[in-house]
Amino acid sequence: MEGALKLWAVILIVGALNYASRLSFIAIFARREMPPLLARALRYVPAAMLTALVVPMVVAHAGMPDPTHPRVPAALLAVAVAFVTRSTLWTLAAGMGALWALQALGR
Amino acid sequence: MRRHLDTASFRDGFVGMLPACVGLAPFGVVCGVGAAAAGADLAAAMGMSTIIFSGAAQILAAQLYAAGAPLAIIVLTCFVLGLRLLMYSAAMAPHLKPLSPAWQRTLAFLLTDQAFAAAIRRFNATDDPRDGASFFLGTGVALWAMWQATNLAGFLAGNLIPAAWSLDFAVPLCFIALIAPLMRNAPNVVAALVAGVAVLALAALPMRLNLVVAGIAGILAGTLAEIARERWKAR
Repeated sequence: MEGALKLWAVILIVGALNYASRLSFIAIFARREMPPLLARALRYVPAAMLTALVVPMVVAHAGMPDPTHPRVPAALLAVAVAFVTRSTLWTLAAGMGALWALQALGR
Repeated sequence: MRRHLDTASFRDGFVGMLPACVGLAPFGVVCGVGAAAAGADLAAAMGMSTIIFSGAAQILAAQLYAAGAPLAIIVLTCFVLGLRLLMYSAAMAPHLKPLSPAWQRTLAFLLTDQAFAAAIRRFNATDDPRDGASFFLGTGVALWAMWQATNLAGFLAGNLIPAAWSLDFAVPLCFIALIAPLMRNAPNVVAALVAGVAVLALAALPMRLNLVVAGIAGILAGTLAEIARERWKAR
């Protein structure tokens, strides 16, 4: 499948599955209890999936792992700032600021 | 539906969500930029923000699409990421039970991480499900409107921002802002470490399968860590 058609297929299928997940226990399985083991496992979806998404964006540069890239220390600083402040704005400011500073120094 | 709409509760929800909307605005812009970078046209970019209406899923879908991953892998990976919505749905279900199906379907569409957190507090504080539902509708509408405006702004600005600004780095930073505060809980740390190591170790897997495999490994590791901690405490 090519180009725009494939992208629209992604949008409609992911959108439908997301809506089905949102609606699941509210309407579709309204009379059922969530199995306790599932309830437990779902709590770890954000930490696991988002970390799997983020790590390659930080460490892999142009497709190759590069742990010396200035993105790595900038991201570590952002983690510390996010941990303390819980603020998206401060995290963005610290991470982008650190990256720009390191890039300017390395030039 | 309209006669159940309590405008004071709706306004509380809408206004109460505005500070969070300011905080999430950069994330919306980043999603719009990401859609533009993946080669989406205006209609597809807005299709992502209006229909998928989930920043993490939009970024993930755009990146996998741009990397040429097959449709089935994109759908599977986004589905696993969206599983957390099951948790919100189950927690919200008892509060929405007294409402009509139209209310339930509408509020389910607006169920996001932030709307859930705000609405569940209101439902727990009130005995009137209509008050909670109108409040929830207010938070959801505020978030949805902000999301469309910021995604559109990001899409339109995406092509104008010079590459030297490295603005693509804002994408992982937005996610770091979501993940890092979770690290106060040890099983979450285990889940994140296992997922982070696995995604790099499995980078050779075809079709970007490493993402979903690493995610599932992290979910299992976090669950096992929690069970192990309970056993340890019980001794």
